[in-house]
Amino acid sequence: MTEAIRLDRVSLWRRTQEEFSYDLKRTVLTFLEGKYRKPAKRLILDDINLTIQRGEKIGIVGANGSGKSTLLKLISGILQPTIGTVRVKGNIAPLIELGAGFDIELSVIDNIILYGVMLGFAQREMQERAKLILEFAELQEYELVPVKGLSSGMKARLGFAIATDIEPDILILDEILSVGDERFRNKCEQKMQNFWQDHITILLVSHSMDLIKNSCAKSIWINRGKIEIMGDTEQVIDCYMNSVN
Amino acid sequence: MGNVLKDTVIHKEQGMSKQHYKSKLWWYWELFLVLVRRNLKRRYRGSFLGIYWSLLSPLIMTGLYAAIFGTAFAAYYDNSTRNYVLAAFTGLVVINFFSSSTVQALASVVENGAIVNKIRLPLFIFPLSFIGANLFQLLMGIFPVLFIVTLILSHNLINGIALLLPLSSLIFVCSGIGLLMSALYVFFRDLPYFYELLTFLLWISSPVFYPSEIVPPEVQKVLVINPLLPIIQSIRQISLSGSLPDILLILQAFLSGIIVLGVGAIAFRAWQDQFMDLL
Repeated sequence: MTEAIRLDRVSLWRRTQEEFSYDLKRTVLTFLEGKYRKPAKRLILDDINLTIQRGEKIGIVGANGSGKSTLLKLISGILQPTIGTVRVKGNIAPLIELGAGFDIELSVIDNIILYGVMLGFAQREMQERAKLILEFAELQEYELVPVKGLSSGMKARLGFAIATDIEPDILILDEILSVGDERFRNKCEQKMQNFWQDHITILLVSHSMDLIKNSCAKSIWINRGKIEIMGDTEQVIDCYMNSVN
Repeated sequence: MGNVLKDTVIHKEQGMSKQHYKSKLWWYWELFLVLVRRNLKRRYRGSFLGIYWSLLSPLIMTGLYAAIFGTAFAAYYDNSTRNYVLAAFTGLVVINFFSSSTVQALASVVENGAIVNKIRLPLFIFPLSFIGANLFQLLMGIFPVLFIVTLILSHNLINGIALLLPLSSLIFVCSGIGLLMSALYVFFRDLPYFYELLTFLLWISSPVFYPSEIVPPEVQKVLVINPLLPIIQSIRQISLSGSLPDILLILQAFLSGIIVLGVGAIAFRAWQDQFMDLL
């Protein structure tokens, strides 16, 4: 087995947004009054050590604000660790809050190409893939319609179709598997099944314990920025549920 | 904040190894093109003629200046109202391009905060894509006009082509300011208010609608720090004077462009690690 993701002694400090003044006027004035303080930072992830093998499906559980999404952002390379190293082998695709990146003024086809290029595809390749994506999302007739003209269900379908079309090595799923109507959900589940059988490494964040039990053999419980326990899913979820109740 | 030692931070760049691209640079380029197209489409909603709409504003402004100041200032332009009109037009082209492209670039990083929190993207692409969209618009709309005027007045193709030189320094200045402002806007969300004031100061201190001779020499010494000044002077010299392009003026314009771009790029690079906590 080969390693897909490895985090060594990773800690992350972030600036807390609440304390920060986004105001130039006020910043200059407090500076002149000599009351300027350096913005406070908070420890979000604390000494995380983690190794994930290629092809593993890992569930991630934990309370809101415990650092789950931040961990995923570190793995995606969006955030850099303050201390320690993050090593990732292969192509990462995020599938976080589908459709958030759409530009509603642009047509469906333009959004597909924009999204695809952002995810690392060549424009020409995306033009070819666009047909299949539209077909899967069942939006062929909407190719040239601005995204703002789509219903929320259609948008979700489009997002799912784009993100799953790109066949990544590592797929990051952050609370997303409730897409569209019943029929389309079945279709998505089938596509996800294919992913699950593949060599794709999957990181799944969810508050649905059933979903994690059904999909992931191994899990991680993150509590206040630390890995509380990592191992067999049943065991991890039992510990987590015990602490909650 | 506690004493956080900057330990060995060796984040491998593989996080998003864009395996579909031959190189990172090519990916940046494609990303740039896609974003430029998005900016243009969003503004014109698919109507290509929309670009010519952008010609309207400088033409109306030129007409207005000519009507109000033309007679008074004609003496400084060899007693020719036509020369005044052309000088005002070239100045307006520069200052309009500067303010519209940098104002759009200013908000670009913050506007795309949602997407850069999900996909790892090079942040500097966003301000540059707005400069790119404005450049495309300039090349399609105003540049041909300027080019033809230059050919008519100078009877020389070299002058027409040389116009591209001060124009590229204009792109450098706008990119530098665009990078700087988009970075500052991440930290200070009331920046547009101050930036509006700044562009107004720059506009008034550039000799757009008045001849620079009317400014007292002491004040002129201060005004030379305006990075747009050498660019306007060079474009006017090339297009309106009728003589061959003045290399010294072109070099001055380039120097100003490189300095501003350098400052903007260095500031953006130095601060961008802090962006993600605030987006």
